[in-house]
Amino acid sequence: MRIFFATDIHGSEVCWRKFLNSAAFYKADLVILGGDLTGKVLVPIVVGPGYFEVTLSGQTHHLETEEEVRNIESQIRNRGFYPTRISAEELAALNEEDGSIDKRFTTEMIHTLDRWLDMADTKLNAGDIPCFLNGGNDDTFEIDHVIESAPHISFTEGKIVELDGFYLASMGYTNPTPWNTFREESEEDLAVRIEHLASQVPDMGVTIFNFHAPPYNTGLDDAPALDENLRPKHGGAVMEPVGSKAVRDAIVTHQPMLSLHGHIHESKGVRKMGRTLAMNPGSVYTDGVLQGAVIDLNEKKKKVTRYILVNG
Amino acid sequence: MSIKEESQPEGVGGTSAGSEAPTLFLRKATGLVRGWSVRDAIIYACLSTNIITLGIYEFSFNSFIPKGQLLTAVLISGVWVSFLVIAYTGLIVTIPRAGGDYVWQSRILGGPVGFVFATTGWWFILWLWAPIYGTVLNVELFQPVLWTIGAKGAATYFGTHNGTMTICVITIALAGYFVSLGMGGYAKLQKWCFYAGMVGFATVVVLLLAFSHGSFVNSVNLEAHKYFGISNAFGSTTAAAGKIGYAAPAFGLNAFGASMLLVPMLMFYLLWPNWGSTLYGEVRGASDFKRVFTGMFAGLWLTVLLSVIFLLLMLKTFGWSFYNDANAVYWAGKATIPIWPYPMMLAAWLVHNSAFQVILLLVMSLWFFGWVGTLFLSSTRVIFAAAFDRVLPDAAAAVSEKRKVPMYSLYLMLLPAVALSAVYSYWVKFATYTLDATLVIAVTYLISAFAVVILPWRKPELWAASAASKFKLFGIPIVPVAGLATMALVIYNLVEWLKNSAFGVNNKGSLVFMAILYVLSIVVYVAARAIRKHQGIDLGLINKEIPVE
Repeated sequence: MRIFFATDIHGSEVCWRKFLNSAAFYKADLVILGGDLTGKVLVPIVVGPGYFEVTLSGQTHHLETEEEVRNIESQIRNRGFYPTRISAEELAALNEEDGSIDKRFTTEMIHTLDRWLDMADTKLNAGDIPCFLNGGNDDTFEIDHVIESAPHISFTEGKIVELDGFYLASMGYTNPTPWNTFREESEEDLAVRIEHLASQVPDMGVTIFNFHAPPYNTGLDDAPALDENLRPKHGGAVMEPVGSKAVRDAIVTHQPMLSLHGHIHESKGVRKMGRTLAMNPGSVYTDGVLQGAVIDLNEKKKKVTRYILVNG
Repeated sequence: MSIKEESQPEGVGGTSAGSEAPTLFLRKATGLVRGWSVRDAIIYACLSTNIITLGIYEFSFNSFIPKGQLLTAVLISGVWVSFLVIAYTGLIVTIPRAGGDYVWQSRILGGPVGFVFATTGWWFILWLWAPIYGTVLNVELFQPVLWTIGAKGAATYFGTHNGTMTICVITIALAGYFVSLGMGGYAKLQKWCFYAGMVGFATVVVLLLAFSHGSFVNSVNLEAHKYFGISNAFGSTTAAAGKIGYAAPAFGLNAFGASMLLVPMLMFYLLWPNWGSTLYGEVRGASDFKRVFTGMFAGLWLTVLLSVIFLLLMLKTFGWSFYNDANAVYWAGKATIPIWPYPMMLAAWLVHNSAFQVILLLVMSLWFFGWVGTLFLSSTRVIFAAAFDRVLPDAAAAVSEKRKVPMYSLYLMLLPAVALSAVYSYWVKFATYTLDATLVIAVTYLISAFAVVILPWRKPELWAASAASKFKLFGIPIVPVAGLATMALVIYNLVEWLKNSAFGVNNKGSLVFMAILYVLSIVVYVAARAIRKHQGIDLGLINKEIPVE
């Protein structure tokens, strides 16, 4: 069986489209997206009388036609940002205290996700190609029920799913980050969550962990060391491990066949941990490139027979 | 949660700044980091274009281009390398990945190109840099300190083939140790080395300003007699230069044509302001271009400024003729002072106190210790990237469970470096291939510069989204133009290196050595492709783009 695994596309529409085409491109039997689907940035396009105005990468664009606006909206979406058309008055009224920004963000996020899931129905041949999505620490809980309601996509968060003789155990939660994101918890709580999941697995020899957080200090979790102001230390030259100790302990203890991770975009890599092959394909979604892993599994041998990390 | 991009371009959530309407909103999410300190970037760029370990060492070869003016050549080089800074800034902000040239070339020009030029430029040729680093350690620390403390036997030993080999192994062990420690601890050490090294440099400046040329002449005669038993060292050096027919050119900003011939020599130290630049953060704005550019540009020009100060002080206190004569006779093997006339040692002689002299030499050696740790850093990155791309065996990226040391990649760096150090130490001619070490990396730069020139056509969407595309002069994007200027710089240097025998590159042994590196790289790639194909893995898939529609 061949699987394609990608992760951390963070709202990039071009990466989502590539993900939907990945099964055909890599001749994969199924595709898995390991969390952090949603974007981090909302870009207002101010609607004025007969014009539109938007600032992107520090450059202000004054637009006049619907075609120009659609073109820039496409650019914004491909970067993983959400465009939102808004009047100058509405923009001025948005503020953090009354939650109006959060509300607007959520609206655009859900709207985009709906559109993406519609695309998936067509691209994945209405379920012929199994597709598995789970949350990541940056995904709000509002997305769960949206994905769960999609007819041809499986939302795997906190579940064990059987895949032709293999088992996929998924978890989007991570250890704490400096940004206090949505699905993160202490290492102790994370260990409990993982054990609850692991206890449901019939055979670890044919199990794939799909845990968003990479295992601690494995080279799959090196991120720029930050100071207290969240600035990279020493000119960005210093990396430090920021993965999860609970995830590491779970891999070492349970020794699944394969362990798939994301979360730390800079830390693309592969590590052998006992019999477990652990990997993080990393993410460069801002470049419009879908990094991923093409992995061949052999059910009889209960092992990964081939893999390659790709920049699609 | 709302910010204005211009006010906080790195994209950390905060409250809306100023009275203007916000241009983007960020929600709480991982990885929204602020830009790194520009001051740190300046320090690393300045340490990479190291005036003390590389610059002063290379200045000593001025006599090989007898009419060239160092001051003119330093300024020409500074201006020309500034274009390289712009070109690399464009690459860094467009594809901000730690893999550097390997990632850029693979993404823009294809995997095989990226592999061949990254492995040769950032891995194989670093084997040769190891003995060069060792030589610098020897001539700037071991030799002067050992002679100063009266350890004549040890000093003489380190001047032999065996001694050279020993010091190369010490250097390689030191660099390997720093790699195994990781950059975390070393980066702090590096910063302190820079600050203390600058204090040392300032001390030398004060000495050279405070003492006259006459005092310097007396000091050289006195201290050379004290340490080496030489009488009238100053006069005999000048006389020796006359005997070999060398006459230093008058100091000035003239002789443009001859000074251009010094540019390929000065690339040995000025070509590296981009050595450690990376960019993190996913919400990027125009200010990122300025920040990355400023870090490298200011680092480069700080080195140029230190170089100009150094050369002016040589003129004032050493005397331009003596400074050049001392170097010329040393490299001609006719020197009366038996060790390399390290300017910091000669400056320290102005104070007739051995303890002070040793302390000053030790402080100045911090320029070396703040720099040596990065010798194999790029090699580790390339080896890991190539292993993750399945071109190298998986073990190449393995890290020991217990100590977290990348053992196999260390072997792949250290063992060939030791072997090449042996060749360097025992085959004198090989040591003259020093500029091969610059040439091979320059070729890698050439390919990256070509990549940035064609980037707007090759990856139009990536380019359009990049802050680099917004910087224009007369409507023309400056980054691809800077890429052309960088290509011109490298091509000019390549032509001179390969044409002019003064650089020690265009001889059969040197060319064979470099050819072996490129052939080795190609063979590794072709073999990997065949082996992986046999295993059912298509390496051609790695950078093949998935269709969007």
